[in-house]
Amino acid sequence: MNEINTDNIKSQMRKGVLEYCILSILNNNDAYASSLISELKDAKMIVVEGTLYPLLTRQKNQGLLSYRWEESQQGPPRKYYAITDKGRELLAEMDSAWIEIVETIALIRNNKK
Amino acid sequence: MKKVVTVGIGGRSFVIDEDAYQKLNLYLTRFKEKTGMGVQSGDVMEDLEQRIAELFTEALGTRYQVVNITMVNNIISQLGMPDGGQMEDDFGVKNEPFYNMAVKKLYRNPDDKVIGGVCSGMALYLNIDVVLVRVLFFVAIFMGSVGFWGYIILWIIAPMAYTAAQKCEMRGLPVTAENLRKFSTYR
Repeated sequence: MNEINTDNIKSQMRKGVLEYCILSILNNNDAYASSLISELKDAKMIVVEGTLYPLLTRQKNQGLLSYRWEESQQGPPRKYYAITDKGRELLAEMDSAWIEIVETIALIRNNKK
Repeated sequence: MKKVVTVGIGGRSFVIDEDAYQKLNLYLTRFKEKTGMGVQSGDVMEDLEQRIAELFTEALGTRYQVVNITMVNNIISQLGMPDGGQMEDDFGVKNEPFYNMAVKKLYRNPDDKVIGGVCSGMALYLNIDVVLVRVLFFVAIFMGSVGFWGYIILWIIAPMAYTAAQKCEMRGLPVTAENLRKFSTYR
C-alpha cells in the first residue's frame, strides 16, 4: 500500500511538470511526436506514450503550440510541433515559477534544526 | 490460417489479422473515450494513429507482412491510456457492462416501412413476422377506430431509428463497433 502511494505521488509530480517539459523541449527544437516521446522517455518523464497526445492537442488548442507537416524520407509526412510566441511567454513564467519552487524546497529542507 | 483485414492507419495501409484488428479497434475506442475531449479528440487520434503506423512499420520490419495480435498487444502496452494507465484487458473475456449490454427498444424502422415503419419496428421488438403485425393492424383498423388511433399514437411515440446505434437497439443487438458497421450508412 505504502509503495503504491509513493508511486502515485511521483507520477502526480511528473504529470504536473509534463507540460512544462514539452514546452521546454520545443523551445530548443521543433520536434515531431515520436522524437518528443523518445526524449521524454529517456528522461523518465512518461511511462506510457498515451498521456502525451491529449496534452499536445490541448496546448495546440490553447495557442501555445503550432504544427506543420514535413516530408520525411521514410513513409508519409510527419507532423512537426513548434512553440508559439504565446507558448514562449508561458514558458518564461513557468521557468521563474520552477526556480521559485526549487528555491523554496531547498529553503525548507535546509531549515531543519 | 487466419482471416486478415486491410486498414489504413496514419496514412499507411496495413494488413492485419482479424483478432488483432478487433483488439486495436477496441483500444482506439477506449482511448478516445478516455481523452474526454469528445469531438475535439480528432487531433489526438490523428497523432496517435501516426504513432501506431510508425510502430507497426518498425515491428513488421522485413520479415513479417501481417500485423498480428502480439504486435498489437505490445503497442497497446507501450502507448497506454491518456491518463497514464493501461487498457483494462477484458477483451472478449469478462462481460463488459457498457459494450455487451444489449438493450432492446421500440423504434420505427426506416429501412422496411409501408407507412411510418411502426409495424416493422414492432415486429423486430416482439421478434415476430412483420407481415403478421401488418395484417393485425390492417384488420384492427377496419374493426374500429382503436386500430387507427393505436397506429397513430405509436407513430408519434416511437422514434425513428436513424442512427446505426438506434438500429442496433431496435434489433436488440449490443452496440459494438462490429454491429455499428453493419448498419452504418457510410460504407
